Amino acid sequence: MARITIDPVTRIEGHLRVDVEVDGGVVNKAWASCTMWRGLETILRGRDAREGWVFAQRFCGVCTTVHAVASVRAVEDALSLEIPPNAQYIRNLILIGHALHDNIVHFYHLSSLDFIDILQIPKADPRKAASIAEGYSSWTGNSWQELAAVQTKVKGLVASGQLGIFSHGYWGHPAMKLSPEVNLILFSHYLQALEFQRKSCQVVAILGGKTPHIQNLAVGGVMNAINLNSLATLNMDRLGMLQSILEDLIPFVQQVFLADTCLLAAYYPEYLHLGRGVDNYLAVPDLPTDAAATKFDLPGGVIMNGDLASVRSITSWKDAEFRKAVAEDNTRAWYQGGKFPPYQGQQTPDYTDFNPDAKYTWVKAPRYNGSPMQAGPLSTVLVGYASGHAKTRKWTDTAFDRIAAVNGLKVTPNDLQSTMGRYLGRAIRSSILSDLALEQLQALTTNILNGDDTTYNAPTFPAGEVMGMGMHEAPRGSLSHWVVIEKGVFTNYQAVVPTTWNASPRDELGVPGPYETSLIGTPVVDPEKPLEVLRTVHSFDPCMACSCHTLDATGKEIAAVKVQ
Amino acid sequence: MISVIGLGNVFLGDDGFGPLVIESFRCAYSCLPSVEVLDLGTPGLDLAPYLYDKHLVIVVDTVHSDTDIGTLSMFCEEDFMTHKAKLRITGHDPGLWDSIAHLRLAGHAPSELIVLGINPESCEFADRISQRISSTAARAAGMIAQTLIEHGVACTARDPATVPDLWWLRIGHVKQAAAA
Repeated sequence: MARITIDPVTRIEGHLRVDVEVDGGVVNKAWASCTMWRGLETILRGRDAREGWVFAQRFCGVCTTVHAVASVRAVEDALSLEIPPNAQYIRNLILIGHALHDNIVHFYHLSSLDFIDILQIPKADPRKAASIAEGYSSWTGNSWQELAAVQTKVKGLVASGQLGIFSHGYWGHPAMKLSPEVNLILFSHYLQALEFQRKSCQVVAILGGKTPHIQNLAVGGVMNAINLNSLATLNMDRLGMLQSILEDLIPFVQQVFLADTCLLAAYYPEYLHLGRGVDNYLAVPDLPTDAAATKFDLPGGVIMNGDLASVRSITSWKDAEFRKAVAEDNTRAWYQGGKFPPYQGQQTPDYTDFNPDAKYTWVKAPRYNGSPMQAGPLSTVLVGYASGHAKTRKWTDTAFDRIAAVNGLKVTPNDLQSTMGRYLGRAIRSSILSDLALEQLQALTTNILNGDDTTYNAPTFPAGEVMGMGMHEAPRGSLSHWVVIEKGVFTNYQAVVPTTWNASPRDELGVPGPYETSLIGTPVVDPEKPLEVLRTVHSFDPCMACSCHTLDATGKEIAAVKVQ
Repeated sequence: MISVIGLGNVFLGDDGFGPLVIESFRCAYSCLPSVEVLDLGTPGLDLAPYLYDKHLVIVVDTVHSDTDIGTLSMFCEEDFMTHKAKLRITGHDPGLWDSIAHLRLAGHAPSELIVLGINPESCEFADRISQRISSTAARAAGMIAQTLIEHGVACTARDPATVPDLWWLRIGHVKQAAAA
């Protein structure tokens, strides 16, 4: 039996340690540990509730907008404050821009190299690669000249012997299965994705004032001035600019990103049967289309025990069961013990060092009616598919058709409950969001042209205590901020974030969380190079945010894989 | 196009040096619109869009080195690249070097990169920057201005300078930092 420690897991946002026990070439036990403390909730106590979002978006240096929006939604919920439709549309467009950005970066830059072997690229025939690419996508950026140029760059890199940022990859690993041509196609998209990552940032920046850390929010709406006759405000020019950025960005999502994940699924079908893990799924409704948030463009719901037919829809942010069901268990986390509903949540540190039999992480264990839940784009897709959401059906079926077109592989919704399903789920959800971006922009434009330029309703805070909860279905999954306010000031603040759901440790009953469960049964061919473990961990898009960013001019430790 | 970028987490003590200097520079100097002055926090790979096709990028950040605490140093890209294999993996990787390397491969890297670094005292969770670090902010802002001018980029001192908005620091400490 071998014990493998990967610390830190690289190509993620933040700091994660994973320990697995391998017996007979297969993982039989796993622990996920976040090695950093998140103290922002402590900072938020005693702050003015109107400025909470400015601080809350510093929960993370990457997913800043999601925390800003969840924070204002939580305060608005506590005050029963509606926001103008324009504010809903503007927030929705920002959230979509951010989600597309996050999902593109995750797939190409943070995880695709688990499946692409850079060292195979010099062997590819660019003309053959171009003809393969034309066969599975109508994208115009797949010409043989383009592919040959990328190949030349990679050849230079390999010949120099200085792979730089690519030097830590598991090149030549027996679990790498793509042909030289397919490796070349996917890596050329890896480089092209840098340009589209930039375009999705522009959507957020045009509406949010800047990114990261948008500046346009307020409790009660948004601070964007709308005046079609002014050069300095949101006007037809800016709306037209958004339309044209989206028209550039969307084909990359729907014809490249989705097509590439389908290609991976066809070449790595074993990952449709690995990494299922916790098969309880949570998704919250999002993209409200009216002031009172009674109608949503994206459905929410809960699926238990992998039974898609059992889906319970969450149709409102006021959903009573959700508010009652969520609790966080500190038994195995480095906090003083106990299980608390978020409004009473505590984070008093109780650090013990890594002890797999007791406390071993800074992440709490969120539970839904006592059960661990998997959060993420896959949850949205499964809930949407199970509840008959038209756009989810359309894009999921499109993905299945694309996979079948590659090599005849038949994939069912049930197969999505897997490591590859999480990759597919992210690309399917991005394709849905792309369609919705154009609809939201159209709705905003129409509303403005109809003469509505309101973006803000002023909040009033009562003297007594009020409580509120703000939801957002973020790129990594369901996010909820829970606030207690007295005289306009936070007396408690708790964020239950997607990675807490997924990176959850064991709870008081010893039941492990989604990362931990999903690794059980994973084959590990070479314990020194646990590529298969990384594929499943990366499939969750881990984000252990809120870290110290410093450089070292002299050189210190590097990432390590230890086998004991 | 030119970017002046502050990196760092404002809630991790001296790691907030980058944002502090950016705000000090913005208030003490003015540049043409072709110079973007940005506090980007800890963006990871999301840094890449702000480096894309730039002529010159000046990054202000904490850089651990063997110098005295509070020492300001200017680095060029090669200074780091020669030590690349030994670069420390920080809690926030992938970051600057990955972004640069990606852009270089894609043909969109900045033509020149300069890092203005300070050797920090403590990057622990805190709502203040240590005195030895915050007291260098005005000098660091001056070094940015000097570097821009040496590159033929217009940059003039504001008269009067505006007051920095250091919203993340404690009130008493804000006055201290602004005075420094």
